[in-house]
Amino acid sequence: MKKHREIPEEFHGLTNGNDRSSAKVQKDQLLELFEDDFLKLSSSRRNFLKVFGFSFASAAIVAACKRPVHMAIPYVIQPPEITPGKPLYYATTFYDGHEYSAILVKTRDGRPIKIEGNSLSPFNREGTTARVQASVLSLYDDARPKSPSVNQQAVSWESIDEQILNDITGINSVGGEIVLLTSTINSPSTLKLINEFGGRFKNFRWVQYDSVSYSAVIEANSACFGRAVIPDYNFEKAELVVSVGADFLGTWIAPVHFIPKYTARRKLNNGEKSMLRHIHFESGMSITGSNADVRRKIKPSEEIILLADLYNRIAQKTGAETFHGTSFREDLSELADNLIASKGRSVVLSGTNNIDIQIITNGINYLLGNYGDCIDLNNYLNISAGIDKKMEGLVNDMDAGRIKALLMYNVNPAYDYPQPDKFLSGLKKTVLTINMAGHLNETSGKAKFECPVHHFLESWNDAEITPGRLSLSQPCINPLFNTRSFQDSLLRWSGNPISWHDYLMANWEKEFFPKSALPDFRRFWDRCLSNGVFSYDQQDNKPATFKKEELSRVMNNLKIIPAEEYEVIFYESIALGTGMHSNNPWLMELPDPVSKHCWDNVAAISPKDAEELGILSGHLIKLGADLILPAFIQPGQAEGTVSVALGYGHKNSGPVADNIGLNVYPLVRLNGGNRYYGFTAGRLENTLKKSQLALTQVHHSMEGRPIVRETTLGEYLNDSHSGNEIHEEYESGHRTLYPEVNFDGFHWGLAIDLNSCVGCNSCVIACQAENNIPVVGKEEVKRRRIMHWIKIDRYYSDNPADPKVYFQPLTCQHCDNAPCENVCPVSATNHSSEGLNQMTYNRCIGTKYCINNCPYRVRRFNWYRYTNNKAFDFNTVSDLGKMVLNPDVTVRERGVVEKCSFCVQRIQEKKLQAKLENRPLLDNEIKTACMQACPSEAIIFGNLNDKNSRVSKLFGSPRLYHLLEELHTLPSVGYLTRIWNGEKKNS
Amino acid sequence: MNRIFKIGIFDEEEKFISSIKSLQEKDFNIQDVFTPYPVHEVFHLLKRKSRLPAAAYFMGLAAILATLAFLYYTAVIDWPVVYGGKPVNSFPSFIIITIVLTILTITIGSLAVFSVRSKLLPGRDNTIFDHRATDDKFVIVVNTGKLDIPAADKAENIMKELGAIEIIDKEFENVNA
Amino acid sequence: MYNSKIRGPLIEGNKSLGQITREVVAPLETKSGRWWTVALGLSSLATIYGIYAVYITVYKGIGTWGVNNSVGWGWEIINFVWWIGIGHAGTAFSIFLLILRQRWRTSINRSAEAMTVFAVLCAAIMPALHMGRIWLAFYIFPYPNTRGPLWVNFNSPLFWDFTAITAYLLISVSFWYLGMLPDLATIRDKTISKIRKALYGFFSMGWTGSSRQWIRFESLSFILGGIAAVLVVSVHSIVSTDFAVGVEPGWHTTIFPPFFVVGAIFSGFAMVMTLMVLIRKIYRLTDYITDNHMDAIARILIFISLIMGTAYLTEIFVAWYSGNKYEMFTFFHNRITGDYKIQFWGMIACNALIPQLFWFRKMRRNWIALLSVSLLINLGMWLERYTIIVTSLSKDFLPSNWVSYTPTFIDVGVFVGTIGLFATGVLLFMRYIPMMAISELKGVVHIGSKKED
Repeated sequence: MKKHREIPEEFHGLTNGNDRSSAKVQKDQLLELFEDDFLKLSSSRRNFLKVFGFSFASAAIVAACKRPVHMAIPYVIQPPEITPGKPLYYATTFYDGHEYSAILVKTRDGRPIKIEGNSLSPFNREGTTARVQASVLSLYDDARPKSPSVNQQAVSWESIDEQILNDITGINSVGGEIVLLTSTINSPSTLKLINEFGGRFKNFRWVQYDSVSYSAVIEANSACFGRAVIPDYNFEKAELVVSVGADFLGTWIAPVHFIPKYTARRKLNNGEKSMLRHIHFESGMSITGSNADVRRKIKPSEEIILLADLYNRIAQKTGAETFHGTSFREDLSELADNLIASKGRSVVLSGTNNIDIQIITNGINYLLGNYGDCIDLNNYLNISAGIDKKMEGLVNDMDAGRIKALLMYNVNPAYDYPQPDKFLSGLKKTVLTINMAGHLNETSGKAKFECPVHHFLESWNDAEITPGRLSLSQPCINPLFNTRSFQDSLLRWSGNPISWHDYLMANWEKEFFPKSALPDFRRFWDRCLSNGVFSYDQQDNKPATFKKEELSRVMNNLKIIPAEEYEVIFYESIALGTGMHSNNPWLMELPDPVSKHCWDNVAAISPKDAEELGILSGHLIKLGADLILPAFIQPGQAEGTVSVALGYGHKNSGPVADNIGLNVYPLVRLNGGNRYYGFTAGRLENTLKKSQLALTQVHHSMEGRPIVRETTLGEYLNDSHSGNEIHEEYESGHRTLYPEVNFDGFHWGLAIDLNSCVGCNSCVIACQAENNIPVVGKEEVKRRRIMHWIKIDRYYSDNPADPKVYFQPLTCQHCDNAPCENVCPVSATNHSSEGLNQMTYNRCIGTKYCINNCPYRVRRFNWYRYTNNKAFDFNTVSDLGKMVLNPDVTVRERGVVEKCSFCVQRIQEKKLQAKLENRPLLDNEIKTACMQACPSEAIIFGNLNDKNSRVSKLFGSPRLYHLLEELHTLPSVGYLTRIWNGEKKNS
Repeated sequence: MNRIFKIGIFDEEEKFISSIKSLQEKDFNIQDVFTPYPVHEVFHLLKRKSRLPAAAYFMGLAAILATLAFLYYTAVIDWPVVYGGKPVNSFPSFIIITIVLTILTITIGSLAVFSVRSKLLPGRDNTIFDHRATDDKFVIVVNTGKLDIPAADKAENIMKELGAIEIIDKEFENVNA
Repeated sequence: MYNSKIRGPLIEGNKSLGQITREVVAPLETKSGRWWTVALGLSSLATIYGIYAVYITVYKGIGTWGVNNSVGWGWEIINFVWWIGIGHAGTAFSIFLLILRQRWRTSINRSAEAMTVFAVLCAAIMPALHMGRIWLAFYIFPYPNTRGPLWVNFNSPLFWDFTAITAYLLISVSFWYLGMLPDLATIRDKTISKIRKALYGFFSMGWTGSSRQWIRFESLSFILGGIAAVLVVSVHSIVSTDFAVGVEPGWHTTIFPPFFVVGAIFSGFAMVMTLMVLIRKIYRLTDYITDNHMDAIARILIFISLIMGTAYLTEIFVAWYSGNKYEMFTFFHNRITGDYKIQFWGMIACNALIPQLFWFRKMRRNWIALLSVSLLINLGMWLERYTIIVTSLSKDFLPSNWVSYTPTFIDVGVFVGTIGLFATGVLLFMRYIPMMAISELKGVVHIGSKKED
């Protein structure tokens, strides 16, 4: 996995004079084999398949279960860095305008097939989110725009450039206003380019627009500190986190960055004596709330009261200026005391996009002296820069016809702007409209000119996530379609002949090379490319000076939002986020970690309300005027609130996304210039129509079984076995009729720390990507036939009004006494000499006996043929979609049982590597897909026979237990008890 | 040369039995007797024995040994595979299979022996001396091939006296029964 | 030894041998009634539905059934066990009663054995269909191959199952056919139609009824009887290990083998009862299948149903006594109460309670009562298998895996299809094969038979 560091030479090809990406090099060399028409980019995708022999590769994999492998096209000229059968890792950057990760891309025979976190990046380390993991599939999305077009007529880049240049110069000559509307840009080189581009025009405006806005945070900080930024929150330095509706482990700002920091302070594996305490106020049930030690339900309208009251109490106790304000229904003095007790060691968050609330939050943090260590305004996060007022202003101007040219990049206002109609009518009034989008969306086709841009895996780019922390993007594959990077377009239209790649390099040579220690630029550039990241010290540690006036203005005329009977809140779902990647089948079928439903957005209501209104899960209910959604009874939902996920209800985003659920963006309120993600429904109405929800888990109580074992910090410190007493009992009670099999050499094991797992679902998609797991679609999910090899079980404690939530990743336990193995008549599943419960697909005849006899039910059956089957047209039918398949893993045939293999292909790969290098296998060298993707390092894989391996140490922990150990199945997977930092909770 | 038979037809078991007895006393060569259902006395009189049970016993013995040997070879020697932490020589499982296969072998085997020894094969046509034998008549067939006429008549008289409802003389070129 | 004073004559109306032949062979010689054609039509329709369902299953996949990630076995396995159970009637009847010299069996065993053959056929279809890749079914044979050779897993109950069912099918067929030989010969010799003569002649394999043939015939039928008796016990015990060897709560119990065997004989006798009642009504064979026969079967049914009841109670008691929380849940919260209580109580009612009606002589002599109770018992036995399979699988160890199970149109089709197949088989049997072992009947009517008894 560190390959990308060891051999930077491998990337020399990237920089020899011309603008060739490594992928380009291969292509140019290879195209010589083919007749000219292959060089016509018009049909570049098919050439591409041929050139790299994908079709054979995929055909081979797809068929590996049965049919013979087709003949391959051998390389005539071997590309220098490609060894067939050996993966190649490129360091690059994922940034879609909402979410950032420095990543490594695993390519096989030139096609990206898997994304891993870049361990060199201080921002996210090896962690990734489900959305980042899935983004590789979006590359092979057949719905992507395939060539530039004018009024839906495909044209060549030359002609479209010509027309655009004419129009734009025309507009500029008369001083018409030219607007560039983009998603947030955190690429320093692109910023430079945009400024140059804008400089050429008399009347230019650049507006950044985010579908889910953090405008209030930015504005509040600029109001309080004169810094229009999103600060970095250092949970690892905090003792107490109080979050009011900020889902910072799920979707808020940068979960992949926050999760490791947060869990680092909650791990107890190395004799830690303390852990972060987390108190959470929210309306809907988020994974962050699920992980909180204390969770309180509030209505959105109460947030401001709560925070104001909290401020006053803290101010009172710390002798600061207090303001008269209504007091919260609960007594907050204890909370205030706790916060004061951990002064300067706490973080108070609010997730609401409301400037007043954010200012009060800042006030509280300031009182507590959290700025500096816990909240860092200097190393702020360049995640989101959109200011709602600017966008609103732009739309008004457009509507008034004041805008002459609109260049859109990576935005979809027609879908996610609160007033799509107003925007679209404005668009009609605009003379020159250009849409530069990487994927099909509702805005596509609305503009006159469509200039499709590369997928991020096809393009050069850079990003500065925090000051002094940079990362590069490089193409991992030649563009599949006739697309062009956004920056190249700008360069063309500003008459600049230089290519974006050269521009980027030049900029780095000028800006960042001087900051490095390396003697010559070539080596610097190679190093940066192979590492993917570059950082230098930013000597900018201004102390935060807090402007009281703003706070007192807010506090003195507190805008109390009137409480309604039912308040609806919109949230980003873990799977789809803002809805930008909705056409990704993996994400569409990814169950929400808490509600465990997918393929739809539902109206989550509290059990109490449901009972009062006689609503059952699946009933279609009417929210407010005209929003009709299936109800979902969500334990822990605040009474009087309804949560609905954003990102669904697409109309023109591709076959998967379209007409699934409802789009609630149009119901987003623009209050005080800030977008408020929710509305007040007034009343709910039960239409009594029913619809079946696609749930992946239908029973929610542990029935008093010791499945997730828990304790509290206090008890744990007294007795490290607490909560896990029965483990000893079972261990001592084990009797065996036969001698237990002992494994010399390796004995693979997996330890899962339930205290670190936040339920982010990243492992699920990582596993799906690594192991070619098919998507089965809504109907099959309804019939409880989802194929995921690792699933995150979610249990509630018995009080539905206010439950504790438990997450438990469940995968094949690789039992040494596996019940499934005994019963297979054809010995298709048996035990390896390394303790793996192995599955031989070719041998399986599908009696399903093993499924029945697996007490964990982790085996999956191929109920239908999911490959090359039009009925399951997700990503394993089209040649394009199949390019994502991992050639190291067989694609299973219909009628075959499959399950987690502990990523045996990875085990073998590393074992062979070690053997070739003639050295013992290192601990932590082999990482299963789930382990690698986990941002919180909750999953640890390794050799149980090696007493010094991390996994063995964890297996030695008094917290360790096995699931259903009373059955004496001797699982190779161990779980570490869940430890709450707070009062004893019912389990 | 043709073979000549005297065929006595009876409709009552007693008469039929007693005539067999007296025919045997006069030691006539009784070719065979035919009945609609098994009559055990006939077996005693004609000293009919069957060695099928013995055959079945040895077949069973062979089957047991063969099965166990096969199971042991395949599961323990040829390719030992670990299933659910059980030892490769899981004898209890072998017993079950052995029982079943033994039963199967015995059945098939003794069926084969039976059909060969009693000349029963699909489509085979054994000589039918009198077709009423399978309905409601008891038939005695006396081989009078080597007898002179009076002797043959003597047999006929015996049967007549003992209540044969009918006596037939028949010639067959070759008899398979 | 059989003594007619207790139970009255086996065959009434003091018949002559010839008469027996005529009366038993009558249905074959005479034209079949309209009812027969209609019945055959219906059963073939059902069979066609079944064939369609099978086609869809094989063409599209098991996905067309109601089974899912947690409930891996559904209706098809229920039906499999059910049919096998029914299949036990014939063997139980002929073998046990043969060994016990219960000669009243003679007028029933032929049809009972026929039933066995068709039932086992229907049963054999199910596990085959249930394979995800039926076209690779041959993998289950331990044949020398080029994969190592990779043999099969002899620890798997499914492999035991496979051998047992195969053996059972072969043995019951041969036993049945062997018993038929003399009767086929009888028809061959009596019939006037040339075709019949040729056909039955061919299949009677040249039976002449010579003493040589008879003695071997008898000893063979005793040998087969003897070993098949073991099979009756072993087959369903093995079927029960499919569950007993598993870890699932409600499966993992040692009571299963005897419990299953008794249950099998129970459903088998019930099915025999159903058929007999119909046959003697339709063909007016009341002289051969006498009220005493019905009475005897009914008595046996009471006895077995008491055993069943005891078994149910034992199961529940053990679940409670073991203190195993998973067992407790399965029995007390998923069977006795909970989602599947209807099936559970249906099973108790049909198998343990209703048969108790047979304590009353009236009931044992009333053909409608006999028919309906026997049908209810078969329903009950089906429900029993449903309870065992579905409840255990649907809610077992980890609540996160709990699901509910509902069959699909295709599941139903497969079941209906096998019923059709069974019915068709029985109808053809009635038409073309003597329903009773003529030679044996003659053996028992004849005064002579008294002596040697």
